[in-house]
Amino acid sequence: MFGLPDITIIAVGGVVLVITAALLYWGLTFKGHD
Amino acid sequence: MADILTIVVVGLYFLAMLGIGIWASKKIKNTEDYLVAGRQLGFWVFVLLMIGTVCSGMSLLGVAGLGYKAGWPTIWEQIFVPLSIGVCIIFFGVKLHNVARSAGYITVQDYLAHRYESPTALRSLSALAGIIVSLIYLVGQYTAISMVLIWLFDIPLWLALVIATLVTMAYTAIGGLYAVAWASLVQSVTLIIGVLVMAPIIIWKAGGFTAVNEFIATINPNLVMPWNPAGAFAPPYVVSFALLLGLGLACAPHVINNVLSIKDVKYFKWSPLIAFIIYAIVIFLLKFAGFAGLALVKGGAIAARTGVANPTDYVILDAIQNSLPTVALWAIFAVIVLAAVMSTTDRLMLTIGAMFSWDIYKNVLKPDADDKSVLLLSKIVVVLSAIGTMLLAINPPEMLAILIWMGIGTMLATFAVPLLAGLYWRGATREGALASMSLGLLAALLFGFLNYFKVNAMGIDFAAIPLHFSAYAFIISVLAMVIVSMLTRKTADKILDETQTGWYISK
Repeated sequence: MFGLPDITIIAVGGVVLVITAALLYWGLTFKGHD
Repeated sequence: MADILTIVVVGLYFLAMLGIGIWASKKIKNTEDYLVAGRQLGFWVFVLLMIGTVCSGMSLLGVAGLGYKAGWPTIWEQIFVPLSIGVCIIFFGVKLHNVARSAGYITVQDYLAHRYESPTALRSLSALAGIIVSLIYLVGQYTAISMVLIWLFDIPLWLALVIATLVTMAYTAIGGLYAVAWASLVQSVTLIIGVLVMAPIIIWKAGGFTAVNEFIATINPNLVMPWNPAGAFAPPYVVSFALLLGLGLACAPHVINNVLSIKDVKYFKWSPLIAFIIYAIVIFLLKFAGFAGLALVKGGAIAARTGVANPTDYVILDAIQNSLPTVALWAIFAVIVLAAVMSTTDRLMLTIGAMFSWDIYKNVLKPDADDKSVLLLSKIVVVLSAIGTMLLAINPPEMLAILIWMGIGTMLATFAVPLLAGLYWRGATREGALASMSLGLLAALLFGFLNYFKVNAMGIDFAAIPLHFSAYAFIISVLAMVIVSMLTRKTADKILDETQTGWYISK
């Protein structure tokens, strides 16, 4: 896909997805107060 | 290539920045206003300030230059740099902001002095280390600014440096963080829109995303792999690279001090995700533009640069010149590059001003100094740091990215451990922090020197070490913190409670 080997798509896409999911989880659960 | 339209476009941008500086200067009543914008920054100003601060000269020129030189194995840079904003906010920002509100911190050094009960030694060491690493980082920024001005106006390097220095110095010195933050808002919006429009044009001109990947794979199959089989950007190096960029940039003084300036801690809820998505899109596109530049050069559409010290960093400039039809659009792109570089440069200069005037002068050398003299000294140091780095930038390095990573690597080895241990480990002591910071700094400078100058000593080829040099210095910093802390007297519980020290992020 996109002229790239599968390993590149899986490695880069996988890391981006995990980070996005982690930051989404942070946003949903953070209840900051001063 | 300079024509009247180019001069007008760039001139208008410079005037806008100066206008922001003059407007912001009217809001400055005291040192707190100047250095932390009165703790009144709103959500989007903060998010774009964070993006603008981490988006540096490397982001436009160096990122594309590295993509041109080494292909997809370098793509991790585009993940870990945007991630550093979230790491900074989540692991440092939440606690620091909350403690700073009650304790009145102006700089992160205030926190270190308080947490480690070291108002003089650790504060001075930390401020001096911060000034050194910020200066290394600044040299890379001024190199990038001068490259753009030389490309656009065909002027000598010294003149390009003088112009860049005068403008950035002027609005930063008069407007402090208010000016830097609002300038970053304008600069980041300019950068985001500009890259979203122009990078796809370069990629399209080179045949499209898939065609570019297929073409560069014919040059060298490793260029489309996620890592190299050995050496730089092999898997161990990528791991050290994650540490370098994800954590090193997050704890850099010019980045972390931003968390003290927001109005409401609730801004930390969504800012990590929003900043990551926006900046990742921008910086991925820039890297793809570098791949497209490689395809354009190897395909014969543009000529490879010669006669400059850092030819790969010019690839995006040459690709723009080839892909866009008019000089006016080149000038607009030049403004985008200048915006990216200046958004980091101004914050770095202000950080140096803060560390010298507030941490060294006010808190160590002359505690009875009045606010007016501290404010004046901050402005003077901003001016001096600009002039000093301008002189250092006269001889640019072979690759912009290398110099900037050296700066970040030194920040990682110096600040990450004392900050993380201070915030999360109640066993971390003053002596541990001093040992960790000083040995981390010295090790980073030593390993950086050995690596940069490709020294072969004690049977080790420092040009071919498997990890980024900063990872070794970071390990030394961790060991120093743990060993020395275990051997020395613990910090008082009262201080640990005041500074919210413990294994949690937010209660």
